[in-house]
Amino acid sequence: MSFRRFLIKRVVIAFLLTLVSVSIIFVTLRMLPGTPFSSLVASGGLSVEQVNEIEAQYGLNEPIYVQYVKYIQSLLTLNFGYSIAESRPVAEIIYPRLMNTLVLLVPALITTAIISSIAGLYAGWNRGSHFERSSIVVTTFFRSTPVFVTGIFLLVIFAYQLGIFPAFGMRSPLDNPQGYIETYFSVDFAKHYFLPFAATVLYYSGDFLLLARNSVIERKGSAFLTLHRAKGLSEREQLARAGRNSMLPLVTYFALRMGMLFQGVITLEVVFAWPGIGRTLVQAINQQDYPTVQAAVFIMALAVIVMNLLADVMYAKIDPTVEEADL
Amino acid sequence: MSTIDIDTDTARDRIADVLSRSRRTAKFVLRDNAAKLGFAILAVFTFLGVFGPELAPHAPIEHTMRAEDGGIMRMSPPNDAAPLGTTTYGKDVLSQFLAGARPTFIVGFFGGVGTGILGFLVGLVSGYFGGRVDEFLMRLTDLTFSLPFLPMALLLLTFVTPSVTLITAVIVAFFWKMPARVIRSEVLTVRERTFVKSARSSGAGHFRTMFLHVAPNVLGIGFLYTAYAVAWAIAGQASLAFLGFGDPTTTSWGRMLRQVFASGGMREAWWWVLPPAIGIAAVTTSVFLVGRAFEEVVNPELRGDE
Repeated sequence: MSFRRFLIKRVVIAFLLTLVSVSIIFVTLRMLPGTPFSSLVASGGLSVEQVNEIEAQYGLNEPIYVQYVKYIQSLLTLNFGYSIAESRPVAEIIYPRLMNTLVLLVPALITTAIISSIAGLYAGWNRGSHFERSSIVVTTFFRSTPVFVTGIFLLVIFAYQLGIFPAFGMRSPLDNPQGYIETYFSVDFAKHYFLPFAATVLYYSGDFLLLARNSVIERKGSAFLTLHRAKGLSEREQLARAGRNSMLPLVTYFALRMGMLFQGVITLEVVFAWPGIGRTLVQAINQQDYPTVQAAVFIMALAVIVMNLLADVMYAKIDPTVEEADL
Repeated sequence: MSTIDIDTDTARDRIADVLSRSRRTAKFVLRDNAAKLGFAILAVFTFLGVFGPELAPHAPIEHTMRAEDGGIMRMSPPNDAAPLGTTTYGKDVLSQFLAGARPTFIVGFFGGVGTGILGFLVGLVSGYFGGRVDEFLMRLTDLTFSLPFLPMALLLLTFVTPSVTLITAVIVAFFWKMPARVIRSEVLTVRERTFVKSARSSGAGHFRTMFLHVAPNVLGIGFLYTAYAVAWAIAGQASLAFLGFGDPTTTSWGRMLRQVFASGGMREAWWWVLPPAIGIAAVTTSVFLVGRAFEEVVNPELRGDE
């Protein structure tokens, strides 16, 4: 199979997966009992006629297949409709939150990918050393403990007991910055940023460390390194070459992790009250704000699908040993 | 007649083989100090999971602690009456911790084992048969990979009242994909080996070949991923409970953390935060420590030179 055909097949599969995923989300949401407006009727705030009017506005009174087609259309055009709870466009709510999540996670993931990969290479090279053993136990702790529990530990120690960092949100309550630069480049933001950033770095460090360590160990005995040793390369030069050969799993793993970022941080954002997309999703679910829920879950699913596709393609492109049959 | 003899013989051989192998494995795993610690913690956790609610000095949710003057004992630090202090609502933290081990254990155990078994079977069937069966099952795993677990689970649990059983089922439904993929790729290599081919050519059926000849060779990986799945299940359950989507009828470690967080008690009441937080962290870490030592058995390339 040529690379081109492989690519086309993968893209088609990714597209179909997206379609099935969003359909499942649609069906799940339609199965929810009651509408967001039924509580308004119950509380006497609105008459039944008014509710019918509003439902018509949101298209909720149309036949289900019409709603479905409109839903797919709106997702394809990234036009997520109006939020029921906040009565403004969902996009207006979602995009700034998405930005907040990315600002938190992308630097954290890059930081941990670099630092812990290097630490992992070093650990694998020095098999049986004190560094190897302790780095494994420490990172195993952070990778297996749910991220919100790590967050709680950090909060209890650094925010509540020592009082070094603020415990809540992305900025001080009285702070009202305008624009991205003022929002993300201030001392106040940095203080709020530190703990969630640390929790994320610690959480993802273990996987990269173990991956790098294992692939160095697997390659250490291989023939090409023996050759390098015979050529008289120094330890460090040998490690650099072994490391280069370990890049592939690390790079593809990085892509997969990027895709899973959003769903992985829902509890993290809740625990630090970080105004990101995960916390928005939880709030929208509690308020039965369908359009916002749809948009948030859609973005999370799309991220996974796109990054999986990317990882597959990268793998096939970079690694000459991938058998064509595996494609 | 003779086929039956062969059957029981092969079966007995297999069992003896598996036993001696697991004995050697246990020995190897237990050389690792971290794994020893992990085992010890898991043993304590299992004990708490089984007997925890009986050991609790008070009913975890119903009983309210009262001071000597009769007032409700709210947010008091550890003292004689309540060795781990009390909550905002005047409940005994020690009792909640002990009783909360059980739902955590049940979801972890059944969620993990269910995930392991389902994933093992899917991976085995998919890898063994290949072709259309494989294509179908693997696209199905792709689908579950692209449906993010936590958001989807939250959606489901909003319209069905969460219960321990339901949460376990949701966890199995979302996590079987991980062992399935790994088992499948292992099966692909085993399938081509001579003894599998000779079994087939000497007339063994698909079912028999799959379970008697292929399965034992990927069992180790299966166990490893079942163990990891236990940790995922515990983490998943705790996350759901923390977000307020846990079983509302019973207390669990995740639910304790939810309450201490939502009530604002986290600010001072470290005695209420730490027991469930340490409990969850210790158990999930232990599983991975044991798993990592076991991984060196399953994957000999990782083993040291000794």
